[in-house]
Amino acid sequence: MQIYWQETIFPILPSHIIGLLQKLSLNILNQLSEIRIRVNQPLLLVLRNNDYAVTDNRGQNYICDISDVDKVLQLITKNSLYTLEQELKGGFITIPGGHRVGLAGQAIVAGGKVKTLKNFSSVNIRIAREVQGCADSIVPYVIATSQRICNSLIISPPRCGKTTILRDLARQLSTGIPKFKFTGVQVGIVDERSEIAACNRGVPTVNVGQRTDVLDGCPKAEGMLMLVRSMSPQLIITDEIGRQEDVTAVQEALNAGVNVIASAHAATVEELLYRPFVRELVENKLFDRYVLLQDYPCPGTVTKVIEVKTNKLLFCLKTGVRVCG
Amino acid sequence: MWIKVIGALMIIFAGISLGFIAAFRFNERPRQIRQLQSCLTSLKTYINYTVMPLPEALAASCEGINGPVRDFFSCSANMLAQNPMITPQQAFVQSILQLKGQLLLEQPELDLLTTLGANLGKVNCEEQEKYLDMVSQQLANIEIEAVQTRDENVKMCRYLGICGGLLIVIVLV
Repeated sequence: MQIYWQETIFPILPSHIIGLLQKLSLNILNQLSEIRIRVNQPLLLVLRNNDYAVTDNRGQNYICDISDVDKVLQLITKNSLYTLEQELKGGFITIPGGHRVGLAGQAIVAGGKVKTLKNFSSVNIRIAREVQGCADSIVPYVIATSQRICNSLIISPPRCGKTTILRDLARQLSTGIPKFKFTGVQVGIVDERSEIAACNRGVPTVNVGQRTDVLDGCPKAEGMLMLVRSMSPQLIITDEIGRQEDVTAVQEALNAGVNVIASAHAATVEELLYRPFVRELVENKLFDRYVLLQDYPCPGTVTKVIEVKTNKLLFCLKTGVRVCG
Repeated sequence: MWIKVIGALMIIFAGISLGFIAAFRFNERPRQIRQLQSCLTSLKTYINYTVMPLPEALAASCEGINGPVRDFFSCSANMLAQNPMITPQQAFVQSILQLKGQLLLEQPELDLLTTLGANLGKVNCEEQEKYLDMVSQQLANIEIEAVQTRDENVKMCRYLGICGGLLIVIVLV
């Protein structure tokens, strides 16, 4: 059987590592969420609930060496490091299929800012999943009327499925949901890291809905304003807001009458209050809904949906509260 | 008698041909160097402005020119596109070997191409531009020298061919 990510992940792996992966059971490959290659350390697969060290033909852990990391980099950049200048500053590269490849090595600093990375020592390949229907449980709380959407902030620690949920929300809200008599709205996605829509040469490679425009690789703050001006969206979806300009842009968009669904890293709403800029959004109650996620029992599990204005709990996984949105 | 005349004419013709072939080689070298320069200039644009990956940039940079230099670039581009495991330097070296009789370049410019291969795709756009500028500058110097050699040798080769043919005929007669 073909695993769906093979087509996009295998072209960036050296042939001997592909050989090792092909020998693994389907069960492991299906659960795979990260491939971690670290110099002088075992090749580690991060599965849904545990880690798995890949063994070689002799049954011993396969230890990665520096050439493995270099080969992966050579394959990702197609021998052209200059095409990924910006991405290297950020420390990660998004490859076709929307998978994110994180890199660690030695940073070169010029004028107090990271200029680029060199001597890479670790590569982390995070497998992006397109899980259609994973936002089903959130959709009822996000839709306000047949044409209006509640401004929502999806809050969770890393690896809880924020991006996957945003992608499915975009698909459902732009296509329309007959069950809720929701006709679908014009959606604009600002995809700074090419993760939500997994664009290849600017064209989305995953289904993000029929009324969706994607601004690929564009800084969030600038992109949101560009979309408002150029594509007149009714809803803007963007990932991981955190910088001051992001917060300002969200405020601008909201004041321009455009709905926003965004995500932020934090475990609870209270934690957000400690973050310098996102705090403003929470204090001014600019959003209508907070959606909290956790990765247990599986990524994308919704723990709470909070109505911000009244501070009412619309959904709670623990106590079983479920108020229809 | 007629056989002698025909034989003599053939010898003279062969001499002229040899002379012209040798002259063509001297003529062709500066032309190919100029083509190389123009390809490298487009390559610089494709790397710097459109930020194209190397296989595509190499293929695009030889658009509009013909002959062995084009083959060299498209051959290297194909190799890199089909097998991303090889380095640009390996692709260049292999292409040079494949196009041996056709690429009428000499050791200095071939060495320059090989070192260019070793430095392609490993640094950012800015540094890449600097390096390509440096290579273009060196190629320009090599071209000047190649033109001088051409001017000195082309006429000499042609005369030598004709005279050589005549000499053999005279000696034989």
